[in-house]
Amino acid sequence: MEAILQSIMYFSRYLLPFLAAWLLFRCGRSMLRERYEPEVWAYLRLPDGTAVPVRHWECIIGRSRLSDIVVAYPTVSRSHAALIRSGKGLWTVYDLGSKGGTRVNGESVEAAELEDGDRLTLAGVHLDFMDLNEEERLSLSRQRREPGRLIRPGISFFILTIFQLLLALQHGISSEPEYTRSILLAFFALSIAMWCYYLIMRSIRRTGFEVETIAFLLSTLGLSVAATSVPGDMVKQIILLLMGIGLFIALGWWLRELGRAKALRWPVGFAALALLALNLLASEEVFGAKNWIYIEGFSLQPSEFVKIAYIYAGTASLDRLFMGRNLFLFIAFSAVCVGALAIMGDFGSALIFFATFLVISFMRSGNIATIFLAVTGAGLAGFLALTVKPHIAQRFATWGHVWEYANDAGYQQTRALSAAASGGLFGQGAGRGWLSGIVAADTDMVFALLCEEMGLIVALCAVSGVILLAAFAVKSSAHGRSSFYVIASCAAVSMMMVQMALNVFGSLDILPFTGVTFPFVSRGGSSLISCWALLAFIKAGDTRQNASFVVKPPSKYRSNAGYMEEEYDQCEYEDEEYGMGPSWEEEPE
Amino acid sequence: MKKVKRRANAALLIAALIIAGLCAYILEFIDHGKDWAMFPANQSVYSGGVLNTGTLTDRNGMLLAAAGNGVYYYSDDPATRIACLHVAGDYRGNIGTGAVTAFASKLAGYSAINGTCGDGVTLALTIDARLNIAAYEALAGRKGAVLVIDYLTGEILCMVSSPSYDPNTSPDLTSSAYEGVFLNRAISSAFTPGSVFKLVTLAAAVDNIRDLTERSFYCSGSIALSDGIVTCSGVHGSQTIELAFANSCNCAFAELAVELGPDCLEQYCRELGLTASLDLDGISTAAGNFEKAADSETALAWAGIGQHNDLISPYSMLRLVAAVANGGIVKEPTLLMENKHGAESRILRADTARTLAEMMSYNVVYSYGEWRFPGLKLCAKTGTAEVGNGSSHAWFAGFLDSEEFPLAFVVLVENGGGGLAAAGPVANSVLQAAVS
Repeated sequence: MEAILQSIMYFSRYLLPFLAAWLLFRCGRSMLRERYEPEVWAYLRLPDGTAVPVRHWECIIGRSRLSDIVVAYPTVSRSHAALIRSGKGLWTVYDLGSKGGTRVNGESVEAAELEDGDRLTLAGVHLDFMDLNEEERLSLSRQRREPGRLIRPGISFFILTIFQLLLALQHGISSEPEYTRSILLAFFALSIAMWCYYLIMRSIRRTGFEVETIAFLLSTLGLSVAATSVPGDMVKQIILLLMGIGLFIALGWWLRELGRAKALRWPVGFAALALLALNLLASEEVFGAKNWIYIEGFSLQPSEFVKIAYIYAGTASLDRLFMGRNLFLFIAFSAVCVGALAIMGDFGSALIFFATFLVISFMRSGNIATIFLAVTGAGLAGFLALTVKPHIAQRFATWGHVWEYANDAGYQQTRALSAAASGGLFGQGAGRGWLSGIVAADTDMVFALLCEEMGLIVALCAVSGVILLAAFAVKSSAHGRSSFYVIASCAAVSMMMVQMALNVFGSLDILPFTGVTFPFVSRGGSSLISCWALLAFIKAGDTRQNASFVVKPPSKYRSNAGYMEEEYDQCEYEDEEYGMGPSWEEEPE
Repeated sequence: MKKVKRRANAALLIAALIIAGLCAYILEFIDHGKDWAMFPANQSVYSGGVLNTGTLTDRNGMLLAAAGNGVYYYSDDPATRIACLHVAGDYRGNIGTGAVTAFASKLAGYSAINGTCGDGVTLALTIDARLNIAAYEALAGRKGAVLVIDYLTGEILCMVSSPSYDPNTSPDLTSSAYEGVFLNRAISSAFTPGSVFKLVTLAAAVDNIRDLTERSFYCSGSIALSDGIVTCSGVHGSQTIELAFANSCNCAFAELAVELGPDCLEQYCRELGLTASLDLDGISTAAGNFEKAADSETALAWAGIGQHNDLISPYSMLRLVAAVANGGIVKEPTLLMENKHGAESRILRADTARTLAEMMSYNVVYSYGEWRFPGLKLCAKTGTAEVGNGSSHAWFAGFLDSEEFPLAFVVLVENGGGGLAAAGPVANSVLQAAVS
């Protein structure tokens, strides 16, 4: 028996990195390599007779090459007009202060609704607007490829299940007997939750799972970290994880409708401020930062939830970018958020928010001068913080010299590096490390903990997972319906990446130690839940056909269910894949 | 939307920075991973700061030291424990250059691929514990060092430093008998070489003085130089260079040193590896010293015969005689069986090495007496280094001119008296043990 367990331990040590890398390769291939056809919502016929497809809900029409619909006539302004589709399917054209003016059916307008067959005239150039009806849209969308043909998501989930099984076995072998049962149960519960999610999504005909697969992989690693450091808390961990998945689905569902999603921006912004205020008033200081609130035995970190709210409130649709106010309100909002975090002493989070602010404001304005100004201002503020907060200054002093301060200021980093090195490429085996005995090993030094127990390859896979999400968000942004979703998804991945970079490089003495969490992997409920919620923003950017439950398919199937079934029979689809689910497919408009 | 898409690429900039950071880490990991893993706080390797993994044996598989599961132990045989203490080291870290400390990462089985592997590995030293015991017994309580190397392979077969102690009983080490007991005198100390240094002067003379073999050196018991005199141990009269070397005549070598000049001798010291600190499997050895006495002929002459402020470690002397034995090429010495056939470097011209070897052989035949070393084809040079207060270090360095037993050796007995009388028998005991 002992020999069998030992050989499981031995072989799984090499198998785990292989499975993780294989899984990421599959996800990456599917996300980045598979053909990604744009959606088509309407056509504009140019004077030369060509019909240009309208591929987003928000399009700029103009002479510039960077316009979404290029009308290359000298009289047309570079960015002449914006064509915007509301959540209800109504199109509006806005003049963007053009020289030659915009007319609809001959009438000069600032903004006007467009209907099928309307004639749009930009500085004397006639364009015919042809909206698509439901049937046309449906038949067009059916020609689009769905994800999951080349790389089948079920197999990816299966690989992940084997990964979880092996990891659970390793923990089962190396854990204290009193915890073995709860650790195995937790992994089992994670697996079940994953497959339930899969079945539900398949039942509503969704086939894109790469984003979730990566999140589940990272959460699996997170569960392993928890099993090592707090084996008594496995039930709590799994409940928190389920809550995260729940919030992911809820937020995703809410984001489906652009109209209502946009409507909630203000309340969410105020909620963020309120959370921060509550935090400032009611928190207790832990490790030099006042960012925890304790309520009846539960502790939570409000700043983690503010992250979701911050991105939600910070993103904007194109109409706002061109016609709304400037960035002033957003800058003020960001300054309050970052300032509040700095007052709490949570400089790591403040930095994450600031980096996210840079990404959002750049995406909204494209203005590098503003960014430069913001960086300069923040640099000064940071300098001030260094002089006021001695423990931050000390971290900077230690940076790059941790071995000289191995037993005081460099204590954590030296232990992290030592443990990470002794893990090699394949690790010592789950639950077999010693780093977990060091304070904050399962949060701030979690990369080193992964290196020690599962090896450098798995740890690099965790980092690559987040980077893949980012690459996917950027790739998807070319096909986004609304900049609201595009900015939100890019901001979400940027936030995750900056947080990850601070975590990983802080513990490895490549950056000063900041004490932030690794998305999905670090132990900590608030952080885990917020990461899953951020994932909804990424999911909202994925407009591949039937890929994301967050993105509504172009047509309302309910209106003509019989017709639908008939259509499916003619398609190459395999029937069993498309059991019609009840769920949120049916939405009252 | 196109504009927004273009701006979205900013996120990729963050990703690129992360990838660059990871590359930096991976390079650091390859470069320093071993040092990180061997940090004493690493609980997979150390237990309470004490190495907790790995087994150390001699070349025949005899256990020298082992640790694991929080306990450590040494050989069962007290003689082995004492004779091998300095080369094997101790778990308390007293012997800084001992294998347990110096090769901790090897004992922990560290590799960048597998990290530190759980139970550690068995590491075999090239040392023959039997020879160490013979050497330690021959030193008979005197302070000193003994080194024996296979000059064809570079494997160090014997490395002993005295005084030593039994790490299991740890006696009171504060008395003067135990002075410098934690130091491995064979590699970590440099001593006044005395006449063994004449090997260096001779090598320089063979290379640089054309008519050396035709010359006659006259010794009247002392030689007068421009700013003083150099005395000799005897009155040798007229001699060839062979005789002068065999007589270890100070007058002849003072004359050669002055003729060669300070720069030449300093260059030979450097090229023969006598003055710099050397690297023995990652262990830094003690640097020697040769002072260029440019302004004083007498000082230069004394320096040329191994006095003045000359200092040489037994280890660097071993490399020199091993090179002489091996035609001028030194096979870099090693303590690790896994390092077979390591690097080599030429430090002497082949014909110079041959000349030196012939003269060292002549020393034994003509001067020391072959009867003292029965059955050994010995080539050697003695040294009796005056260290003030009337005492002198006894040196004996040389090699066996034998294909079956290609051994080079150095014996040093601190304050032992005459080189041949004090160090010669120690060398004989160890070499007899080695060839038996």
